[in-house]
Amino acid sequence: MSGSANDAYLNTRVAAKATELFGPGELARHAQLNLQELGQKFHLGAILEEPVGEYAKSRAVEQALIQLLLSELQILIRPMNAEERALVLAWARKYALFNLKTLLRGKIRNLDAQEIRENLYDLPREVRLSNEDLFRTESAVELLRCLESGPLSLLARQAREIYEKRQEAFALEAAIDQRYYAELARRVNRLDGHAAHRQMRRLVGSLVDRADLLWLLRFRFAYELSASETFYQLVPSPHLMHRQRLLDLVALDDQAKVIAALPDPLRELLTDAGNLMETQRRVAQFSNGIATDVLRHGNSGVARALAYLILREENLRAVFSLIQGRLLNLPEPYVELAVGLRPAICVHRWQDAA
Amino acid sequence: MLTPQPMKHVRILSMREDLPQISLALAETESFHPDPRQPEEQQLAPLLDCRYQKEFQQARSRLDKIRQVIEGPEADLSEIRVVGLDELTEVNAWLGEAWESCLRHQEAGRDLDERMRLLEEQQAALANFAELNVGLGALRGEKRFLDFYVGVVPSENVRRLEGALGLAGHLLFQYMEREGVAHVVIVGPSGTREAELGSVLSAAGFQAIPLPQGLDDSPGAIQAELDERRATIEAEQAELQQAVAACELAFRDELVRAETVLTLAEPFVALDPAIRSSGSLCAIAGWVPARALPALEKRLADSMAHPFSLESRRPSEEERPLVPSVPVRSRLLAPFAMLVKQYGIPRYGEIDPTLLFTITFLLMFGTMFGDVGHGAVLAVLAWVFRRKLGRFYVFGLLAGGSSILFGFLFGSVFGYKTLIPAVWMSPLYNPILMLQLALGWGVLFLTLACVLTIYNRFAVRAHMAAVFGPHGVVNLTFYLGLIWGAVSLATTGQFGLIQALLAGGALAALAGYNWFHMQAPIGEKILVVLIETLETVLGYLSNTLSFLRVAAFSINHVALMIAVLTLAGMMGAVGHVLMVIFGNIFVIVLEGVIVTIQVMRLQYFEGFSRYFSADGREFAPLRLRRRAPAA
Repeated sequence: MSGSANDAYLNTRVAAKATELFGPGELARHAQLNLQELGQKFHLGAILEEPVGEYAKSRAVEQALIQLLLSELQILIRPMNAEERALVLAWARKYALFNLKTLLRGKIRNLDAQEIRENLYDLPREVRLSNEDLFRTESAVELLRCLESGPLSLLARQAREIYEKRQEAFALEAAIDQRYYAELARRVNRLDGHAAHRQMRRLVGSLVDRADLLWLLRFRFAYELSASETFYQLVPSPHLMHRQRLLDLVALDDQAKVIAALPDPLRELLTDAGNLMETQRRVAQFSNGIATDVLRHGNSGVARALAYLILREENLRAVFSLIQGRLLNLPEPYVELAVGLRPAICVHRWQDAA
Repeated sequence: MLTPQPMKHVRILSMREDLPQISLALAETESFHPDPRQPEEQQLAPLLDCRYQKEFQQARSRLDKIRQVIEGPEADLSEIRVVGLDELTEVNAWLGEAWESCLRHQEAGRDLDERMRLLEEQQAALANFAELNVGLGALRGEKRFLDFYVGVVPSENVRRLEGALGLAGHLLFQYMEREGVAHVVIVGPSGTREAELGSVLSAAGFQAIPLPQGLDDSPGAIQAELDERRATIEAEQAELQQAVAACELAFRDELVRAETVLTLAEPFVALDPAIRSSGSLCAIAGWVPARALPALEKRLADSMAHPFSLESRRPSEEERPLVPSVPVRSRLLAPFAMLVKQYGIPRYGEIDPTLLFTITFLLMFGTMFGDVGHGAVLAVLAWVFRRKLGRFYVFGLLAGGSSILFGFLFGSVFGYKTLIPAVWMSPLYNPILMLQLALGWGVLFLTLACVLTIYNRFAVRAHMAAVFGPHGVVNLTFYLGLIWGAVSLATTGQFGLIQALLAGGALAALAGYNWFHMQAPIGEKILVVLIETLETVLGYLSNTLSFLRVAAFSINHVALMIAVLTLAGMMGAVGHVLMVIFGNIFVIVLEGVIVTIQVMRLQYFEGFSRYFSADGREFAPLRLRRRAPAA
């Protein structure tokens, strides 16, 4: 098929798939269902009926939902060209990085190999790391040495040096996340001149903006890192949080000043957020809004496909939160808070609400 | 050779303590393929005690890693014996210590490499500074108002680091870049933000380059100091190599023992998914080639201390997709079996296409690349490089042989037509006949493929698919009717009533079958049935025409050689010889590759895609795996 035929095919597939996304008010309706109804609704009944503990069920549900998302991704990337496919796979590689972090944490804490293996996601070939070699290692340093011979060599080398000096996982995981978003931004910039470039800049940029804003607030004001240390962990975004803006924002010494200095619509959205959880919820709504806009009004197949995957991931994550809430018998307000149906208010007020 | 080896499903009931002995005996026979399915008896459960498996996995992983550092010897299998959990645990513990020792050597080696790399960066930096008219000694040591950092940082971190340092009131200058590493000087006010700066520099992977004490000395003195440090590192590297060699010698006997223990323990671990137990009894299920069953039973009877029971039965119809297929074991066919395997494994009950693939491959390759000289070159090269090519050298020999055979038929030696008389004729003398023969070959090939499809479907009891499915009886009837009609049209000018009835009737039957088996709205049904019927007609037509390439490449081969010899004829004596040599090399390499690809394409797309489902399971028996020594 030619490029335009592929794009038309992809657009058609995305349009067909988009009918599976939650409509307005649908999540709130699902939040009223009990565990059995949720299992039936999302074809997870067999997993939920297994005679195993809550944790095992929760893991199995999470794995099934991730597999569903990644199987849809595998279908959508088929008609894409190499560059487009690489960008979408770079987005999905977060699951491989979850596995990498699990491996690292397991090795740092000297966990049993079987215990680590049980906590890894089973991922399709296109996305996964070469887990087996990594798995055979017997310490975090050996694991990072092993990573040095692969595509994450630079990250692994720096991470090992940091780990050898500080023996803690924070710097390591921050470096992994930073690298993930930097790779996404780099791939979007490489699309320059491509029909999808403008929409991808908005879409991927909104993901990077979201991560940057939360990291900035967390590192600068919760962990009290210096402006330079904070800036080093951030990723210049192809959308709102570009390099100069990040430099200006990290130099500010108060959270309110940072919010006030944000560009619209972020400033307007976050002015009265109050706490980091609520900020997180609103920023997620902001990036989901952009994804919805790209899906509805975009004309590039690949941008619409990625927008669909981002929204589908949000939906499936909400389903997982609902099921986990039911499995753990959490009070209704906590579950609604987790899926973003309620604003995040102070802890004592949630307890009152519960 | 064409039909699959009959298989039997076997279930062995024995005492649980005999499991290691059973696995070893089964591995020795190399005829037992474990079946991991859950048995119908609810009382039988998988083994819960996985200590043996865990110890084995860890020990194997450690030994494999050790073999990457020091040469690993082969297992000593002169005595086949059962390995117990205690022995395995002991070996695993020793391997843990040995791996730690190897890891220390590995880390020491990496550290020395790193020091050497930094020394080279330092040398490059000083060479760069040499052209500056600045007192570099001033950069060394602590200063009252300014901090200087001279060092290297990964190039991709420079811009981010520059921004971060700017926020800390420092400036970064990049003065050189080598192989992804940027050489930088960082300068800023001293004493205020050292901790903050240190954290950022560390996160960015900054490595300081020490400036030598004698920086104000002559370049010769500095060079001498660097050379001395290089010599020290090289001496340490040599010392480390000696230590590794000593370690290898000291570990040798224990490594032989570890390799032996793990090789003998492996069958039990590999058998684990097929073991079910209840109390002190256990059951093992698997697939065994029917003719190997008596030998397997005898081996078990000879080796087992306690009584055991062995039940065998033929596979049921439902089990057919699960039954493994035993691959063709012939040295001649082995390389062709590898090419078939690239496409897939034959399903149990289906015809194994390896022999047919071999014959048709060689026929088409010879036709398209027929030349005694070129074939001889291929065969000789395959023989000379037989060690490097492994089992694949037979492929080169046979392909070369086929070329030689067709070269005699066409009377061609390195493109020369007069050196030997043609047994038949050169393809260029009658291209129309060649094209007709290629079409005839195509019809024969596609008919054979359809017949095999029909046989395979009947063999797996898919009767409706055998008659009405793609490339089934109805399709074949249509195709033969169409070909018969086309031949009539070409010879008598009439398509013929019987031929038209055959082709049209088969097509109508096909359309009717599709119509009644499709669940869709009427509009979609009409569209799909029309398109699918048209696709059948066009598909068979284009697939037959696809075989014209056999004749086309045969003619092309001759034409290319004529071009080479014509060019050679236009040159002097030396030029003539060179042109003939290089022209032949060009044709052998370029055409050899293209012809191989074209034949593979015909085999895979016109043949395999019709009759070969390729979704079978390969017979993978339990065996004692001998590992080659590796450094």
